[in-house]
Amino acid sequence: MKPLLSAWVAVALFAFTTTSCLAAATLTQKIDPPEVNVGDQAIVTITVQNGSVDNLNLPQVDGLDVVGTQSSTNITFSNGSLSRAMSLNFAVAPSRTGTFTIPAFDIHTQEGDVLHVKAMKLYVLDNGASASTNNAPAQAVPSPAPSSTPSANPPFNSNGPVVMPPANAAGNSSDMTTGNTLNVPMESDGRPAKVFMVITPDTTDAYVGQSITLRITWYIRQDVDYQQDSLPTIKGSDFLMNDLSYRPHDDEQAIMNEVYRSESWVTAISAPKSGDFPLLMERDSYWIKSITTNNLDPFFGGFFNRRPNLAHESISSNQLTIHVHDLPTEGRPANFTGAIGHLKITGAAEPTSVDVGDPVTLHFSVSGEGNFNYVRCPTLASDPAWKTYVPTFKIDYLGDESHTQAVKTFDQSIIPLKNGNVPLPPANFSYFDPTTKQYVTVPIALPEITVTGTPMPIASASPVSGTDSTAATPTPTAEFLPNRLEIGSPQLSLTPVYRQPWFWMIQGGLIFLTLLGALFLFLRSRSAPDDDRATRALRQRSLQQEEDAMAEAVRRGDAVAFFVAARHAVQLQLGTQWNLRPEAITLGEIRDRDPHLAEALEPFFAQADEVIYSGQASSGLDLAQWEHRVRTELLQPQPA
Amino acid sequence: MNFFSNPSFPSCTWERYLFLAKFHFALIAFSLFLFPFLLHADVSDSELDAANRAYTSGNYDESAKLFQQIIATRGFSAPLCFDLANAEAKAGHTGAALLNYERARYLAPTDGDIDHNLQLARKQAGLDPNSYRWWQIALLSINWMVWLGIMAACLLLIFLAIIGTSYAPAISSATKIPLRLLKNIFRAILFAGIPLSLLMGYVELSTIGFNDRIQGVIVAPKEATLRLSPFDSADSIGTIPEGELVTVEDRHNDYLRIEARDHHFGWVQQKDLEPVIAGSFDVKPSD
Repeated sequence: MKPLLSAWVAVALFAFTTTSCLAAATLTQKIDPPEVNVGDQAIVTITVQNGSVDNLNLPQVDGLDVVGTQSSTNITFSNGSLSRAMSLNFAVAPSRTGTFTIPAFDIHTQEGDVLHVKAMKLYVLDNGASASTNNAPAQAVPSPAPSSTPSANPPFNSNGPVVMPPANAAGNSSDMTTGNTLNVPMESDGRPAKVFMVITPDTTDAYVGQSITLRITWYIRQDVDYQQDSLPTIKGSDFLMNDLSYRPHDDEQAIMNEVYRSESWVTAISAPKSGDFPLLMERDSYWIKSITTNNLDPFFGGFFNRRPNLAHESISSNQLTIHVHDLPTEGRPANFTGAIGHLKITGAAEPTSVDVGDPVTLHFSVSGEGNFNYVRCPTLASDPAWKTYVPTFKIDYLGDESHTQAVKTFDQSIIPLKNGNVPLPPANFSYFDPTTKQYVTVPIALPEITVTGTPMPIASASPVSGTDSTAATPTPTAEFLPNRLEIGSPQLSLTPVYRQPWFWMIQGGLIFLTLLGALFLFLRSRSAPDDDRATRALRQRSLQQEEDAMAEAVRRGDAVAFFVAARHAVQLQLGTQWNLRPEAITLGEIRDRDPHLAEALEPFFAQADEVIYSGQASSGLDLAQWEHRVRTELLQPQPA
Repeated sequence: MNFFSNPSFPSCTWERYLFLAKFHFALIAFSLFLFPFLLHADVSDSELDAANRAYTSGNYDESAKLFQQIIATRGFSAPLCFDLANAEAKAGHTGAALLNYERARYLAPTDGDIDHNLQLARKQAGLDPNSYRWWQIALLSINWMVWLGIMAACLLLIFLAIIGTSYAPAISSATKIPLRLLKNIFRAILFAGIPLSLLMGYVELSTIGFNDRIQGVIVAPKEATLRLSPFDSADSIGTIPEGELVTVEDRHNDYLRIEARDHHFGWVQQKDLEPVIAGSFDVKPSD
């Protein structure tokens, strides 16, 4: 047994090392967000797949401080292959506006690979307080300054056993305000907290109605891990939050030499009113406080009698302050519906050639990142040449669960009321760009529609567009066909007949009957061959006997005996063929069934009757010739 | 030919009297049997007249109400649904109009007048046409009872051919048809009948499959909201315009999962949707 076990261990080790060795180290990098205000932080993430890195530092950049670092390793085993990802997060804080470039550099892994990190750019804007002084375009409308400066964050969950941030970390408010640096609360025994939660918004400065992507990560130390039955919730009513998925992203990572399991969600929040609002989340959490072991089970060391004692408490996250600004009123387009984000819009129409009265469908597609609940269908200018209908829409969300990235498609039917080359009404779409802090109005190019047919009457016929309008001569349009003056054959239920059991029972019964018939045929065919074979053998023997009798009669010159035997032989032959008794084969029967055969047999039957009834043959009768004729012509199977 | 000169008519005088008495008795009994139906038909016709008068005089709401009453008491028929749909369309109730046109088309799929008004109402509501294609009309033009008859005929023919094959010698003896010819006839019936029955069965099942979708018409004013999941708080992922025909896939409490004509899926509130086949939402579609 031992050699076999050793072999398995060797194979497993070989597979593990082979997989590890064969997988080449790769690198991914990102800076998030790529655009921040002065005072905010960005996270530079460098992830090394299948490789280990020691003592990695970002190159020094003037005006860009690295305010925190964090590393985590994630090992996954899927589809038979092992992969390891080491993530290094650097929180960087710019001290001035401008464009910062983190230069390219190389990473040397412990395995000897050299990975190249490309240069990364960080765009730093002035914050809201000084925005009015920047070089914005002439039509740009500056956003208002925050109504107040962020207040000092109060300590959260101070009564709980796990505090995030810890009381001694309260002074480091800049880190926790943005949540970009993971400050793990410590416990009295010097170990990191058992359970804590971190929220990370993509910005702390926003406008009313703007969607703020929020990452919520809840950590639990592996030695106290227990199944949870609740979701994080926002404390207070200052923000609206998208529904959280019931299935968080599970992960495992090492934090301060402790293994943690984390559950994370990505969602979006928005504020319905302006002001500075605290953002704090809570989650009812369970963790294992201790294990009670039943000593009555010494054999298994109490393995089957371990009962966890649970602790249950509401865990609060780090508290942030979100500065929510009112949207500027100055320069607000009339058709602005509250859409805020970085949006693109396209428009199309189909078909481009129709008859008067036939619908043309306008397709508008708004894509990008923003608060899609506020994205409405682009507005069409009023045009008497067109009758418009209520648009319908559909949204396909892209990216993460925050539902801030999507493609929203609008379909709007529009009917031409006159003919000619009719341009579609002008359409445009307005939104607010939070980066440039200005309203954007996008005109949408729509094609000209070729409209044929007779124009429809227009209530206020004032053709202002179109090249060939003949709307002045209205003609009758399609009308509803009149009522039927009959009741018809009413039925109390519209339920189709095929839903009635009898419909299937009748067909099932017929199929059963058919199968029964087939079974009967099969069983009969299995039993019938024996009878038929016996009958055929009997008749064959009889026929042979009659032929022998014919030969004997010819040898003896006995005409009567010959014709008796020959006639019986012919009857046997035809009876077998027609499935009749030999006695039933008469000249009349043969004539009914086969007139040609009857004609050929008639001389034979006449001669046979004459000889048999007279008891003697004429002197010139050649029995040998008759025998030959009977054998060659009459005893051969007749065609059907 | 004179009735009394018919050879089957009794020749004897008393037999004639007896025959005439029986005939009259049967006629009276038949009339008495029909009387309630004739009386009922008169009442219904007066209701129909009233509904049509309201329609022609422009009281479309009143007309629609009367047609609804007739349908509630007598049941659904293609002409009644068509008339009700006309009244609803003239009254400006797009959803109800298209619902009843769809019901009328369901009852009489080959009726060109119904399709004309249905397509016109859809056009006026800004909806794309949804006329049946030729093969759909061909499939639906066969009544279900006709399908039953076709299948019964095919299967009976096969059954008789099977029995005939077994008893071919006896039949041949009795009819004097050559046995081989008789067997060939039965074989031909079997070889043609079995594939024909299979083909008919396939077409019948296809027709049922086409017809058996649970469909509904949006009756919510203007539009119904399409949601990502069957809860009031769920994200809206689109809208379906009033009068649009949709296929119902599933149900969860008061929400129905539907497939719109552009193959977009989502959940709508049941109150926003009326089934083409009344009562078909009562059973959970996935059941």
